[in-house]
Amino acid sequence: MLTSKLRIGIVCPYGWDTPGGVQNHVRDLAEFLIASGHSVSVLAPAIDEEKLPDYVVSAGKPISIPYNGAVARVLFGPIAYARVRQWIGAGNFDLLHLHEPAIPSISLLACWAAEGPMVGTFHAAAKRQKVIFAIGPILEPAIEKLSVRIAVSEAARLTLTDHLETDAVVVPNGIYAKRYSDGSAQEKWSGNTIGFIGRFEEPRKGLQVLVDALPIIARFAPDVKVFVAGPGDSKDFEKEIDPQLRDRFEFLGKISEQEKADFMSSVSLYVAPNTGGESFGIILAEALAGGACVVASDIPAFDSLLGSGKYGALFESENSTDLAKVVIDLLRDEEKRKKLAIEGKKRAQLFDWEVVAQQIFSIYEMAMVGGKGVTLGSDHRSWNRFLSRDEEKR
Amino acid sequence: MKALLFFGFLLLLGLWYLSFLATRLDRLHHRVETSWANLDVLLQKRAAIALEIAHSDLADPASSLLLTGAAYQARDADIKNRSMAESGLSGALGLLISDGLAHATQLEQSLLQELSALTAKIRVAISIHTDAVSSTVMVRRKFVVRTFRLAGTAPLPVTYEFESDVL
Repeated sequence: MLTSKLRIGIVCPYGWDTPGGVQNHVRDLAEFLIASGHSVSVLAPAIDEEKLPDYVVSAGKPISIPYNGAVARVLFGPIAYARVRQWIGAGNFDLLHLHEPAIPSISLLACWAAEGPMVGTFHAAAKRQKVIFAIGPILEPAIEKLSVRIAVSEAARLTLTDHLETDAVVVPNGIYAKRYSDGSAQEKWSGNTIGFIGRFEEPRKGLQVLVDALPIIARFAPDVKVFVAGPGDSKDFEKEIDPQLRDRFEFLGKISEQEKADFMSSVSLYVAPNTGGESFGIILAEALAGGACVVASDIPAFDSLLGSGKYGALFESENSTDLAKVVIDLLRDEEKRKKLAIEGKKRAQLFDWEVVAQQIFSIYEMAMVGGKGVTLGSDHRSWNRFLSRDEEKR
Repeated sequence: MKALLFFGFLLLLGLWYLSFLATRLDRLHHRVETSWANLDVLLQKRAAIALEIAHSDLADPASSLLLTGAAYQARDADIKNRSMAESGLSGALGLLISDGLAHATQLEQSLLQELSALTAKIRVAISIHTDAVSSTVMVRRKFVVRTFRLAGTAPLPVTYEFESDVL
């Protein structure tokens, strides 16, 4: 554990006020660091600058660009670059922690502008794309400035080695395991119930796979109900569902953290039928911490999080028949459900912030060896000796 | 005149690129040095713990001898032979730990715990260092870098071939 108190600058590439995994991770990390006595400043794009917590500095309004098949709300350009430089120059940081520095965003700009101890965390897991051959040489000089690279999962690490030919240390995303561990089982959600949390309108979250599996499940478990929580327009989605099955679905809308904990300890099964684009699966870690028995698709991130089926059941991704089979098996076997849930709860302790922050701290320590703090860098420092600038000041 | 301007522009661009590359390379060399310093400190600590274990009751005279020898070798080795010496130490420690864990006292338990925490750190430090070395070597292999001798007098970084079995 670091004993001295540090000044840490964290850069979040995505709009602070739009929901997303990276933003949640940055918020939790910043709050954990502040709680351990470090001083933290987060630079992030924001739509509403009034509502930001006091440790967040706005870099300007984010713009929506299509990236990697989804819309990313990021920020870049000359004005943003000036803001980033100003933030680094004024911050007097001991260390910078950049999130997702390989996409066009303020993280990349900060990586470009700064010099000194820098840690980069790579969240995304994507398939190898041709375009990377064009982007790679541009990114390389920036990415290699990072003292340590962190990947949030084995899948993210493989993406990084594939795309940018550089290795990374795997540190999982953190959760506050305690918040989920003391949920109380609610009558309304228990019984033969299946839970799902997420932005169900997005096809990659895979709710459709579960909808397709339900006719088969209902045949074997006539009283089965599905609870869907998460933001989105449920009216539109309900229209797509077979009318005979419509009353088996209940949409709860967005639920609070406390409700989430209750939800996880009430439902018989938590199903994550995501079809891809997931690099860690924070919701699965939360479900495990809440003591739910988890059924998930076998995409690489979930496979490694669930230890290839040791801590939760897996089914073949996008195969609703297989999903139905696994669900029916588990609904009939309470013994097995309990066993998986207990194993899963133990597993979730590995992702608790107490454990994860320890790993991040030790990486911070390693990044800061020999560094004298973060400064604005120059790409042409070899001229300094001819211009007789003071090298020591750097 | 136009042609002259054009060539002047190209020359400036070329110079800018060279200076950019030189700075990049300088930064990489710096990274290699700091990551090595970090790894070195951790390895020295490990050797110190190994010596402590060797002097504790955990080790019988024979393995104490082996461990002490390996620890001193690891400390004295120069950078080229370091990874081999450290692997030797890993092996000696591994031998002892595999059959020593059962009858360890409280004090020795804490030593072993310290060792395993250190080992986790060393593993990370190694991956950081080898990464720094490989990207430096990659840039130094570039045609432009070799032709214009942008690396100057900096020695080519030594690849640290730590056996993957660091306990």
